[in-house]
Amino acid sequence: MAPPRKETERMSRSSWIILAAAVLFAVEIVTSARANRTHEKHILGWLGVCGAIAALAIWRPGIDVLANAMGVYYPPSALFFLCCAALLVMVYRLSLGLAQEREKVRKLAQEIALLSVSRPDRD
Amino acid sequence: MDQPRPLAVLLALDEEACIAHTVREVKVALPDADVLVVDDGSSDDTAREALTAGAMVARHPINLGVSAAEATGLSYAHREGYSAVVRMDGDGQHDPVFASALLSAVRDGADLAVGTRFAELRSFESTALRRAGNAFLSSVVSALCGQKVTDPTSGFRAFSARGAAFFAGVHPHDYPEPESLLMAHRQGFRIREVPVRMRARTTGKSSLTPGRSAYYMVKTSLALTLELLRAR
Repeated sequence: MAPPRKETERMSRSSWIILAAAVLFAVEIVTSARANRTHEKHILGWLGVCGAIAALAIWRPGIDVLANAMGVYYPPSALFFLCCAALLVMVYRLSLGLAQEREKVRKLAQEIALLSVSRPDRD
Repeated sequence: MDQPRPLAVLLALDEEACIAHTVREVKVALPDADVLVVDDGSSDDTAREALTAGAMVARHPINLGVSAAEATGLSYAHREGYSAVVRMDGDGQHDPVFASALLSAVRDGADLAVGTRFAELRSFESTALRRAGNAFLSSVVSALCGQKVTDPTSGFRAFSARGAAFFAGVHPHDYPEPESLLMAHRQGFRIREVPVRMRARTTGKSSLTPGRSAYYMVKTSLALTLELLRAR
């Protein structure tokens, strides 16, 4: 009879939950993509996030490796920092995208106004 | 097609109560000018009232703000080849009697003629907060432009064909007046101030509350700083 595996060698319950959440999130992203509710460049980014979450759920020591590489003593802090940084970049990119879309809407609305000028002697 | 006549651009948002009167006043003051009302997404009958009063009307399908409305008017003038543009508010605050003085300044060589409330003629008194804000912006814009600008927030202004062409393509965001002065200066445009009288609005109310006025000051200061960092 094989000896029982140590707790550190098996995936913990929380790891399974995080992995399941990452998989469900990935399914939601692909479903949205199938329905054309999102754009390829966003899909790739979000699937990358799902992959990173799943990888760290499966390979928990990866968090320690990251913390060591960053010179952070407490590994969860390193993970927290990376999450915050990633969210900051995403929100910044979204605000840039929003400003670009707003400019396009403005130009489109102005063009509509210019193409449909009403004149008192013709209307 | 080039139009030897000038274009009067009136910006309006929900001004059905007074836009017809303003259009008629402009037509009396500037009999040689065409009048274009830019309706910035009004929810009332502003467009129909303006049309009935004899103006051309360009309607934004959605509200885009003062700056975009001005740019639409200037774009129309540029595309139709008007010789000059005078821009006024549709609520009647800008006394059309002085529009011809602004256009004369353009004919005399200015690319941007700004109507000022603070020279010679007495206008209605705005709030102390706004006067203080205007004084602050006046000192900043005057220093940046290298010439005295007493009323940088005045929207009563006239553009030469060259000025209209430039501002039809590149325009500040939101409230455009102080930033466009700096842009004009950096383009080497000739800027002139012309004394005008402004009246209290007869209908509706200003969108600038004290809180928004303070925000406007901060935002405009930032916009002026950013303009200095941009390529000409």
